[in-house]
Amino acid sequence: MSKKRKFIFSMVRGLTAILIALLVAALLIFISAEGPGFAEKLSQTGDAMKRLLIGPIIKSNGSFSVKNFTDVLAAMIPIIFTGLATCVMFSANQFNLGAEGGIMLGAFVTAVVAIYVPLPPVALPIVAIIIGAAAVAIVMLIPAALKARLGVSEMVNSLMLNYVIMYFIKYMLSSHLADTSKGAIMTYDFQAHAALPQLINNGSKLSWGFVAAIIFVVIITLFMYRTRWGYAIRMIGVNKDFAMYSGMKVAGVIIMSQVIGGFLAGMGGGIEMLGRYTNFTWTELPGYGWTGITVAILAGNNPAFVPLAAFFMSYLNKGCSLMSTYCGVPAQLIDILQAVIFVFFAAEQFLSGYRQKLVIKSTQEELKLQAEREAQHNAEAEVK
Amino acid sequence: MAEEYAIQMKGITKVYPNGIAANQNVDFFVKKGEIHALMGENGAGKSTLVKMLFGMEQPTEGEIWVNGKKLNLSSPTVAIANGIGMVHQHFMLVPSLTVAENIVLGMVPKKSGLFIDHKKAVEITKEYSEKYNLPVDPNAKVMDIPVGMKQKVEILKALVRGARILILDEPTAVLTTQETSELFKELMNLKKQGYTIIFISHKLNEIMQITDRMTILRGGRSMGVYNTCDVSPEKISRLMVGRDVVLSVQKDKAQPGEEVLRVRDLEYVNEWGKKMLDKVSFSVRRGEILGIAGVESNGQKELVDMLFNLNTPNAGTATINGENILGLSQRQIREKGVSLVPEDRMLYGIAGKGTIQENLISDRCGEKRLNKGLLFNMKAIREESDRLIDEYTVLCKSQEQRVDNLSGGNIQKVVVAREFSNSPSLIIADQPTRGIDVGAEEFIRKKLVELSRSGVAVLLVSADLNEVMELSDSLIVMYGGKITAYFEDTSELNDEIMGEYMLGLKQQSEEEVRRVCHE
Repeated sequence: MSKKRKFIFSMVRGLTAILIALLVAALLIFISAEGPGFAEKLSQTGDAMKRLLIGPIIKSNGSFSVKNFTDVLAAMIPIIFTGLATCVMFSANQFNLGAEGGIMLGAFVTAVVAIYVPLPPVALPIVAIIIGAAAVAIVMLIPAALKARLGVSEMVNSLMLNYVIMYFIKYMLSSHLADTSKGAIMTYDFQAHAALPQLINNGSKLSWGFVAAIIFVVIITLFMYRTRWGYAIRMIGVNKDFAMYSGMKVAGVIIMSQVIGGFLAGMGGGIEMLGRYTNFTWTELPGYGWTGITVAILAGNNPAFVPLAAFFMSYLNKGCSLMSTYCGVPAQLIDILQAVIFVFFAAEQFLSGYRQKLVIKSTQEELKLQAEREAQHNAEAEVK
Repeated sequence: MAEEYAIQMKGITKVYPNGIAANQNVDFFVKKGEIHALMGENGAGKSTLVKMLFGMEQPTEGEIWVNGKKLNLSSPTVAIANGIGMVHQHFMLVPSLTVAENIVLGMVPKKSGLFIDHKKAVEITKEYSEKYNLPVDPNAKVMDIPVGMKQKVEILKALVRGARILILDEPTAVLTTQETSELFKELMNLKKQGYTIIFISHKLNEIMQITDRMTILRGGRSMGVYNTCDVSPEKISRLMVGRDVVLSVQKDKAQPGEEVLRVRDLEYVNEWGKKMLDKVSFSVRRGEILGIAGVESNGQKELVDMLFNLNTPNAGTATINGENILGLSQRQIREKGVSLVPEDRMLYGIAGKGTIQENLISDRCGEKRLNKGLLFNMKAIREESDRLIDEYTVLCKSQEQRVDNLSGGNIQKVVVAREFSNSPSLIIADQPTRGIDVGAEEFIRKKLVELSRSGVAVLLVSADLNEVMELSDSLIVMYGGKITAYFEDTSELNDEIMGEYMLGLKQQSEEEVRRVCHE
């Protein structure tokens, strides 16, 4: 199939999935809407869908909402990092789900450094974030090495690791690191100069972390498609036996992919912490890791598309929260939307009939062209 | 009128999801009670056509009529219910079960409704075995019986399920000459009893010997139906390939130099306790092609696996230019100058979803000339790929094309381009031309000869007797994990002699075999 047809197919496929998800959402809102009659329910549904679709950029008076928009951008930062982390790990065919625990641990370690380590301005946030990222990279060695050396499923291990991390942090928060002067479970405040500078001071908390995220998108894209290590990761993902036979160090690359994944997730956590918070308060898994998996799948494991997918998820999130604030629709709807989109993206056979038709059309065109060329060739031969 | 036909496939077109048009508007009509050959080169679309007849694939366009009834063959179950049976090229048998158990698989006779009635299974097997004169041992495990008998088991399996139309997909590909003539007797016998047989092959002499009519396919299109007695082998050959085949590769006499690969007393016992390699010793020298002939699964695969560390031997040594290679990583083995064209190219040879370019650089991606500091030197990589695509005449739109969208022959050319171009001192070519078109086959054979004459040592493993006899300068035969014969000069060999050694009917003395060590 030609590149153009392939592109058209993936666009049609993506848009169809989103459309179906939105229809499901509308249906659910309609069912749960309170109202005496069909008309009221319908108008409520219409209002809610409007909030969902255009709320994140348009104010109710019809003008562009800078605040809402920067909220969307700020919320992209952590899921760009977890999305990148997941891209790298999934590209090596490693279904490591540790980005969730990774971002929490990275945030925590960064927070601890930001509270206790005396460092000068500028150096403090940078060092704190790097130490946080490095800590997660080291922890990720556990599922990675177990997989590479003993063949233990990295999926199960990384999934369980998320909870080990969460309970470890909970324990630390309620014991050694607790700020007992406060009424809730939290740490002491970070040193003031640990905070990341903001891009815009409008309360959206859009920090320079956004720029860092975009820089890392570029770095990871280059890494995956323009270096021998990224190449090895992708080839191992496509065919491990081929990579081994070609002389690549398969076990080493499998470990490397997950360590890099851990590093990225941890860095996302650190940046999120210093960009938005003044102390560490997370007692549950933040959910960015799960969203990161959706982002990676939407991006087709291509780091270059991660910002786009992250923007989409972030936009939907914002739309849903607006919808729940103003229209009384439960915020959990976002999970249903995500799930439906996810199902259709992950379903390989979704619209495969349409794809097959395109393939047949392409092939028939090619055959026709080939026949013409042959005929021309024969005619030329005859002339000779 | 239609009643005279057992099978009518009309205007069949099949386009696979990867865009390959395997069949284009093919008509395939088989009369009742005849042996009908379906002929064509590898990749001509024979297998696809019969897969649709057996319900394993569905046609994109066209109709299938069986015994005058239009059918929708949606699965093999439907095909079997309509009296169609198929013997696959790669046997579909459970190795750890007995012959009788394999034959009744899926329709097991029961004792008191709960237990498997083994006695009954053996009885059924014996009954059919005698009725159709297909002798098998019902109580033997399938993994212990020879290939020829496995094929009989497959045929019996189809007959027990009530097949009146038998499809045999390249049945002789794995058989020796003697086994083949036995099979032909059995097929003639079945024909006498009124069975219809579709016989897929690309071996001319077999077709002339056994079939009544033939349909010839080329490039997915039908080249017509012929009565076997009306056409000459030369005409068939022209119809099949569209040109006269030059069967022999030109090569001058080998000038063997010093020893490159030295294998001594290699032994391997597989996981079921079967000795697959038994004191295997041989040497390959610079500038010569040493062929390994033998019926499949007589230790050839295991031998190659050992040499590339895809498996570990129990005893023995193997060295390249005096240095050990056993147990080294594939990277280290490659660094010592060993290249492998693997038997299973889809498993080891390529990364299917990768581009041609990505598949061409897998063994050299760390080399300085392809990198610029931390990053790839994309210009150098593109040039390298273009050069290889050009030199090895890989037919493709661009080097960014996915490799699994290429035809089998072009995929193999990608593998060969990579393996031949990293200046090896030893090339192990394991079934280098299996399942590819004649053009690619000829190209790869010529390249192998060319490389050997430029001083590379070549170890050629091939189940294709013609190939191994034509290409090799000298030749060993493997049977039951042992080297049973060594022929220093292949020019006076013929397939009769080879068949006897390959079947284990003959064996040279140890001294004679030992000559291959060149000590």
